Amino acid sequence: MITRHHRNRLTATLAAATASLLVLAGCAGGAGSTGAAPDANAEIIVGSQNEPTNLDQIFGGSSGVTEVFTGNVYEGLFRITDDAEVEPLLAAETEVSEDGLTYTFTLQDATFHSGAPLTAEAVKYSLERFIGEESIAARKSQLSVIDTVTAVDDKTVEVTLSSKSISFTYNLGYVWIVNPEAGDLTAAADGTGPYSLGDYRKGDSITLEVNDDYWGDAPANGGVVYQYYADPTALNNALVTGAVDLVTSQSNPDSLAEFESGDYEIIEGTSTTKELLAFNDRVAPFDDVNVRKAVYSAIDREQLLDAIWDGRGQLIGSMVPPSEPWYLDLADNNPYDPELSADLLADAGYADGFSFTIDTPDSGVHSTVAEFLQTELAKVGVTVDINIITDDEWYEKVYTDHDFEATLQGHVNDRDINFYGNPDFYWGYDDAEVQGWLAEAEQADSTEQQTELITQVNQKISDDAASVWLYLNPQLRIVRDGITGVPENGLNSLFYVYDIQEA
Amino acid sequence: MTVSVPTAAEQKPVVRRARRRTSINLVVGGVLFGVIVTVAVLSLFALPYEPSDTTGGRLQPPSGEHWAGTDRLGRDLFTQLMIGARLAMLTGLGSVAIAAVVGVVVGLVAATAGRWIDDALSSLLDIAIAFPTLLLAMLVVAWRGASLDSAILAIGLAGSAVIARLTRVTASRVLAQEFVKASRTSGTGTLRLIRLHVLPNVWPTLIVPLALQFGGAVVAEASLSYVGLGSPPPNASWGRMLQEAQSTVLVAPSAAILPGLLLVATIIGVNLLADGLRDVADPAGRSIR
Repeated sequence: MITRHHRNRLTATLAAATASLLVLAGCAGGAGSTGAAPDANAEIIVGSQNEPTNLDQIFGGSSGVTEVFTGNVYEGLFRITDDAEVEPLLAAETEVSEDGLTYTFTLQDATFHSGAPLTAEAVKYSLERFIGEESIAARKSQLSVIDTVTAVDDKTVEVTLSSKSISFTYNLGYVWIVNPEAGDLTAAADGTGPYSLGDYRKGDSITLEVNDDYWGDAPANGGVVYQYYADPTALNNALVTGAVDLVTSQSNPDSLAEFESGDYEIIEGTSTTKELLAFNDRVAPFDDVNVRKAVYSAIDREQLLDAIWDGRGQLIGSMVPPSEPWYLDLADNNPYDPELSADLLADAGYADGFSFTIDTPDSGVHSTVAEFLQTELAKVGVTVDINIITDDEWYEKVYTDHDFEATLQGHVNDRDINFYGNPDFYWGYDDAEVQGWLAEAEQADSTEQQTELITQVNQKISDDAASVWLYLNPQLRIVRDGITGVPENGLNSLFYVYDIQEA
Repeated sequence: MTVSVPTAAEQKPVVRRARRRTSINLVVGGVLFGVIVTVAVLSLFALPYEPSDTTGGRLQPPSGEHWAGTDRLGRDLFTQLMIGARLAMLTGLGSVAIAAVVGVVVGLVAATAGRWIDDALSSLLDIAIAFPTLLLAMLVVAWRGASLDSAILAIGLAGSAVIARLTRVTASRVLAQEFVKASRTSGTGTLRLIRLHVLPNVWPTLIVPLALQFGGAVVAEASLSYVGLGSPPPNASWGRMLQEAQSTVLVAPSAAILPGLLLVATIIGVNLLADGLRDVADPAGRSIR
């Protein structure tokens, strides 16, 4: 059975390779016809593995829903650019009161796809919906500082906060403004963006049609189809055979080889996905800083990164990727040094080593990483048991019940260093200073002050080896020749398609 | 497992041809299987590298230093293949042993107990035979957690149904024979009857199906490991090696091809061996099947 499966895969690969040769031959024949003008009516087909489970961001539609809808179909009051900057979008003007607690937004003249105008009432509805009881949106807790939302007049919204929040506008960049009349949004959509939702075929594709009445600049293409594939090999084959124009995220560096020829462009941006060996900082021996630092220094992360990503991606020494304002180069803060590791273990009273279990999700590369850690830690006398669990089990055992010693997880969110300020988070890092700085940072008067405080947090959690930050994933996109305008970075799955065009 | 029934006129030459094929099957099967067994036994005493040695470099092609190349973490694949052979033999032997013990006991109970129990057991066996091995294995894994033991137990239990049915048929037939009836009338107990007359007749009919199950068990364990339900890391089961090599098949094809080849060699070897054994043990297709 296994062999047949395997043979099918080989056959598929061979077929794909043959197809790519044919494509190559075809291109060679038609050479010389390059430099055509961009075609604003061309439909762009996007290949992705990240299908949303439903179409509403407040009902856990996962990051797939952000990839398709945020900025494309729905817009927020603010937009977060590919360089992680905040710029105004539906909020044409913003006024902040002296005490930083009252925001007054003047809205753009925009209309929803259904024809209804964008009103202050719609904004009020959307914000209240996002932090409402039934919402399970990722940023709900950060936005719960919203105290009241008032529609002053048709185009003016006043929001008061219960406490100052310097990242308020940044967080608003993720909140969709929806039409209150639209009803259930789990399988339909009504926003103000440059595209409206066309065909939605669950398990297969989502079609975005150009919104001719868009208030801003018209998109550079004639519509976008997101085509979903469960299997990375099938996705690659789709690109090779021309069924898709680009792949939003390639998680396997070893399948890049076939795209390194001239007919494709491989775009490597920075992601915000950090691979973590997270300790349960509450329980012995990981409540001891020296033990955590010893484990950190026992791991040759450079070899690990090379094994997993083949030279792509980068080493980090804390929870902060270079794209965030409070980044520090801490990659060598806990250097790879087995002798140092052994000394630290001896200091902590574990000269003869100890043993612990890593709860390892069965998805992605975690089990390969776990095997590597097992090998590395064995060299300093620490025995690792690998316990493979499903993602559901992880959510229950580790995330909810905190019943673990150490675990592996990829943390995808941007600006998620604030998890270290929550002692009830699954890893249970509990440091009064860090909690104080993070709270103070949120109350800061200026971004400089905020940056300074969080930079301190960054240094402290790294010095404490609160977790082992193994590496930062690269964001790899593969684009067919002739397609331009693809956003580079994978900031929390944001993927704006309006600049993509076909030459 | 098809048995052609030759007509009386052609019987003699057909049998002779069968005998000649027998020896080839036995020899080829024996050699293939023998090589795998040898490798498995060797792995207990000597390995070219430590299984956890990650100094080999990423995805190196086969070379004098690393006969089968290395994996992503730089570990020697030949070492892993040897360990894989050991795990495959362990799986085969373990699950065949379970299938034999459970199957023979259930079959004998069905054959010797009263009609009701026999009917009930036979119906259960029909259901069990129709039940997919992998599905049963997943249930066992859900119950006991993913490990080589779970896989062996599940595969063994799944195989025991066929063995039980074969045992029941043979045992009933033997028990119905005149000399057994005579022995019974003269006061021989059931257990003694089984030991003296039934078992000696049952074993020969089970050798071939058990040998075939050995091959099936190796494939089943590989499938389970492939989907992550077999022996957990860092055990280098061939199925797990295939799964890990899948994402790198374009840059390091040997990592995927070699475990696949070994799997194929094991199964062909065992099947040829089973065929050969059948022809030796059962030249006339001894009326049982």
